[in-house]
Amino acid sequence: MTFSTHHQRKTLYRCGFVQLATLAVVAIAMVSQPVRAGGGTIVVKGVTIHVGNGEVIDNGVVVIRDGRIAQVGANLAIPPGAKVIELSGGSLTPGLIDANAALEPTNRMMVDRRNARQVVADLFHGDHKDHKHEAVGCCGSKCSRQLQHASGEKCKQCGFPDTLPMAVGVRRSAMTVEHSSEVIPQTHVIDSVNLRSPDFDRLVGGGVTTVFVAPDSAAVISSQGAIVRTAGPLNARIVRETDAVMAAMGTDPSWRGFGNRQPCRQFVNFYNRRPTTRMGVAWVFRKAMYDTERFEKGAVVYGADAPTEPAMKELRHVLSGEIPLRIQARMQHDILAALRLADEFGLKFTLIEATEAHRCLDELKKAKTPVVYGPVYIDAPGMRRYSSEVDHARLHTLKELLRAGIPTALTANELRDEDGLARQAMYARRFGVSLADVTRCVTETPAKLLGIADEVGTVTSGKRADLVLWNGEPFDGSSKPIVVIAGGEIVVDRRKG
Amino acid sequence: MNRRLSIQTIIIALGAAFVVAPALASPPAKIALKGGRIIPVVGEDIPVGTVLIEHGKIKAVGKDVEIPYDAMVIDISGKVVMPGMIDAHSSRGLDIRNENLDVTPFLDVYDAIDPSKLYFEDALRDGVTSIHAIVGNNCVIGGLSRVIHPIGITPDEMTQQPSVSLKLSVSPQRGSDRMAQLATFRETFRELGEYLENLAEKKYEESLEKKDEKIKVGPDEAKKLGKDLIKPEDYDDKHRNLVKLTRGQLGAFVYAGRAGDVAAAASLAKEHGFFKRTTLVLGASCYKAIDEVKSANRPVVLDSKLLYREENPITGKITETFIPRVYADAGVAFSLLPSSNTSLAERYLNYQAARCVRNGVSRQAALEAITINPARALGIGDRFGSIETGKTANLVVMSGDPLDFSSWVDLVYINGIRAYERDDDIRLKQLLGEEKPEVAEPAKDEKGNGEAAGDKAAKADTDSAEDKSEETSEKAEKKKE
Repeated sequence: MTFSTHHQRKTLYRCGFVQLATLAVVAIAMVSQPVRAGGGTIVVKGVTIHVGNGEVIDNGVVVIRDGRIAQVGANLAIPPGAKVIELSGGSLTPGLIDANAALEPTNRMMVDRRNARQVVADLFHGDHKDHKHEAVGCCGSKCSRQLQHASGEKCKQCGFPDTLPMAVGVRRSAMTVEHSSEVIPQTHVIDSVNLRSPDFDRLVGGGVTTVFVAPDSAAVISSQGAIVRTAGPLNARIVRETDAVMAAMGTDPSWRGFGNRQPCRQFVNFYNRRPTTRMGVAWVFRKAMYDTERFEKGAVVYGADAPTEPAMKELRHVLSGEIPLRIQARMQHDILAALRLADEFGLKFTLIEATEAHRCLDELKKAKTPVVYGPVYIDAPGMRRYSSEVDHARLHTLKELLRAGIPTALTANELRDEDGLARQAMYARRFGVSLADVTRCVTETPAKLLGIADEVGTVTSGKRADLVLWNGEPFDGSSKPIVVIAGGEIVVDRRKG
Repeated sequence: MNRRLSIQTIIIALGAAFVVAPALASPPAKIALKGGRIIPVVGEDIPVGTVLIEHGKIKAVGKDVEIPYDAMVIDISGKVVMPGMIDAHSSRGLDIRNENLDVTPFLDVYDAIDPSKLYFEDALRDGVTSIHAIVGNNCVIGGLSRVIHPIGITPDEMTQQPSVSLKLSVSPQRGSDRMAQLATFRETFRELGEYLENLAEKKYEESLEKKDEKIKVGPDEAKKLGKDLIKPEDYDDKHRNLVKLTRGQLGAFVYAGRAGDVAAAASLAKEHGFFKRTTLVLGASCYKAIDEVKSANRPVVLDSKLLYREENPITGKITETFIPRVYADAGVAFSLLPSSNTSLAERYLNYQAARCVRNGVSRQAALEAITINPARALGIGDRFGSIETGKTANLVVMSGDPLDFSSWVDLVYINGIRAYERDDDIRLKQLLGEEKPEVAEPAKDEKGNGEAAGDKAAKADTDSAEDKSEETSEKAEKKKE
């Protein structure tokens, strides 16, 4: 060092400066980082706690430590040095759980529902941005007649912007359903999930902290869903990579495939998917299960519509009950068909959507089938409106299900933001479900159905600190989530403004 | 099956609504709504009070109103009475929103109102007592609008106020761009000026002809001299409403779809003399032009989409703006619209108001935005929009606070006539199962039903008899299923 030139010394000095600066930046970053799990204690006080299991604690205090709920009770002592959140007239619920969320795996489409329509419309209908668009058939051929309509006014051709244009089926099916076969339980939805998708921000903004990411209903036996947290560090978001296999009854798998033509020379591909009717759908399900049983016994399974070997390897676990099964069915006879098929193969399943569940309460009760019901509607939102399965939707279905003692979770499926799960709960309250019951439907019950009830679902000490703070009674017209805490961290804070 | 059933129910419901209305055309002269909480919107809330209706008008409001001996007393204790809500801008009652032409000041929505539309039944069910029926935004100059109520079998019966305003749109529509849109306005008003000059000249010539005199002055002078000779009936259909508009005799609902259109709307209105009668109908993104809206100081009707979401195209960050909050903070009086899309909640005006409260708008401002503000914007604020002595008895009785989503519209009075009663709403009952939609525990529910039925039997015997027969028929239907 003694021989170091001026230049060298200067460099050294500079290096030292850079190191110091780096250290300083790191130090500042460490100080200014949000309260990390284990970093500090958060206390929420002075709120009405809706525990999730029907209990209500007035003037409650929740102590959160190390990302977990340390203490819950009324008028607890507040530990010194804790970060206190207080909201007069507020209430606290567990983080909401959507047991059947349809997640948008790409960034672009989910900025806004209207934007999503715009994107799809641009893709399929040509120039939709400027108040006119040409009528374009599914085949891509242009109609000679130009339809003009105002921005903000409904298009007579496609219902834009109130409804998605014809591309609606494409939008969802193409994304979370694999079109290569009707029976694809070997595919996993988690591979399509983009954990950085803004869709998660929208979910957590609505108070939803855990979701079951459901595959689309356009295949008879569809992919395996996943259980994912909507907030927190990316590497800790996935609760369960694969959870349940989803199947669908009714017409979704038949009409939402691209043209259902007969397979030609036993060649099944994207364009000639098999089932065209309800019986076809049921048959594909039955054949898949039957073939799996035969495959297990060592028989050779062949034919154009036979399930593939990897599919059968998964279905084997469905048959043995290791992988849970979900069946989406809307209409009464579809629900009954699902029950019949399940009975045939000795399967237990969770019924999804169950629009007409109010018509087959006894059967559901007898089969002890849990239900993930929702969304609530009269005029079906999204692509359901193109289906004929929604005509008998009623507003009291959830009430009837609960009254019959059927374990029922409520879901918002693809609806988000203000339209999301909290609003579904609000609807349920309007249509005759008590606050305690409806809170259970979006917290404890889905947690139990998903098998994560020891982690989340209620405000109980020891559980993960997924909490939602509301500026009023939860699921009310004039209240919304003000603070959302996920894993002991404040992830949404709307207290200012 | 469902289609047929729903059509049947529609017919029955419409029948009920429209057959009952004329039957009730001579209502009890005096009605007292007693014991409920009164939200007059203008003035303080009255925790427990009475609204006295006499011959379709509000005779008295207050805590201690003396009820005349011959008044029909309706006990609404535990309930809330508020003014009937007003839909400030709706094309949903029309058969088609817009004519296939750009400039149609000669049209009147009177000819387009379709009283059989399900929309009216729904509006009544949702507590809307006045609807501003107006053509859609897809025009340059649309037709005349009118204020109607959702009962009646002809547009005449439904009308509360004809010829309320003319619809104009400065936002590019029908495939044209902004330049073409504004050029059409200029051309229309230029043509109007030319027409008026020619008419004046013609009238002057005619007046001289009558006197058998010869024209001594040049055409320019004749145009000036003849100006005062024009009588209102001389204008032709195409120009009559435009003349009224430019003279401030007609309101104007000017649609501005984007922030950039607000200034154009204001300058257009100022230029042609109808600024003081202008109401701005603003699209969602217009909150960005809040300074211009504020300086215009005109009533504002907001789009039903209340939340504006924008993505930063570079960072992908999404920002949300709750639109009414911006207007409320700026002190602009705004009116809310119900949504026409499939959302169950946003079709209720009172829910739109509740959303405002949730996002930080004051309760009073939110309630005004669905009652008195639209009434004032429509120029009917002296008759509708609040519970005040002397105003028309358009009232809504709700089962709870209007901003609580679990509250139901129980009764609707229009001109003092009971236009809607939830207990008789067959279609609603079907959607909610056969029993009454009580928000209560199952056990209490049945008990509550019994009590309610008893009350009703005491009140109106025929109604409840009908009710029971409906219920039994529904039960029979269910058994069949």
